[in-house]
Amino acid sequence: MRNRIREQRTQRGLSQAELAAALGVSRQTVISIESGRYLPSLPLAFTIARFFDLTVDKMFDPDDEEAGA
Amino acid sequence: MMTFIPPRVRKPAIYALAGALFAAAWLVRGGNLWWVSIFALVGTTVGVVRMYMLGGEDTDEGARAGSRSDERQQLISLRSRALACNLTAIASFIGLTAAIAVNAIWWWPFLVTLLITGYGYLFGLGNYGVAEEGTPDNADPERQTRSPISS
Repeated sequence: MRNRIREQRTQRGLSQAELAAALGVSRQTVISIESGRYLPSLPLAFTIARFFDLTVDKMFDPDDEEAGA
Repeated sequence: MMTFIPPRVRKPAIYALAGALFAAAWLVRGGNLWWVSIFALVGTTVGVVRMYMLGGEDTDEGARAGSRSDERQQLISLRSRALACNLTAIASFIGLTAAIAVNAIWWWPFLVTLLITGYGYLFGLGNYGVAEEGTPDNADPERQTRSPISS
């Protein structure tokens, strides 16, 4: 699952720690989500999408592999 | 009760309580080994201080020690505990089998541990959702009550 968190975060000039504080999670979790190593829960996915004024499906995209499956 | 204790102090407090009980057990036992309780208290104090300091660090371990884990850290903790439980069950089974094979009298602690892990698992299944499956929403209630041979 790919996501646009890093792109959106850097566009807004936020650090990972600032985003983590805004979302109420740890900096390590933001790093894990950005790198795709951790898939957030649905409530957290909505929180992330709302924070960036995007919808969840705009924020998170399935991989090419998964989309083709 | 735990909500009255500041999050960062919760884990160290539990650790301190466990250590104090362990030290008290050695003291109550008495005999020549009563001094083990002093070592237990010193070890507990060192552990409590270390855990409290760890709770202030900006790491996954720090978040866990400071009782401020987010969902990913809780998931990691849950998986780790599940792994520990699996290993405990496997070790208990091996111990029980070995104790039976050599006709030892120390077979029952393995059985108790195995039963606790087994019943704990069943309790978890019952407690966390298996009993809430219910009927499918497209089920026809009339079809369920009607006899299959009546037309």
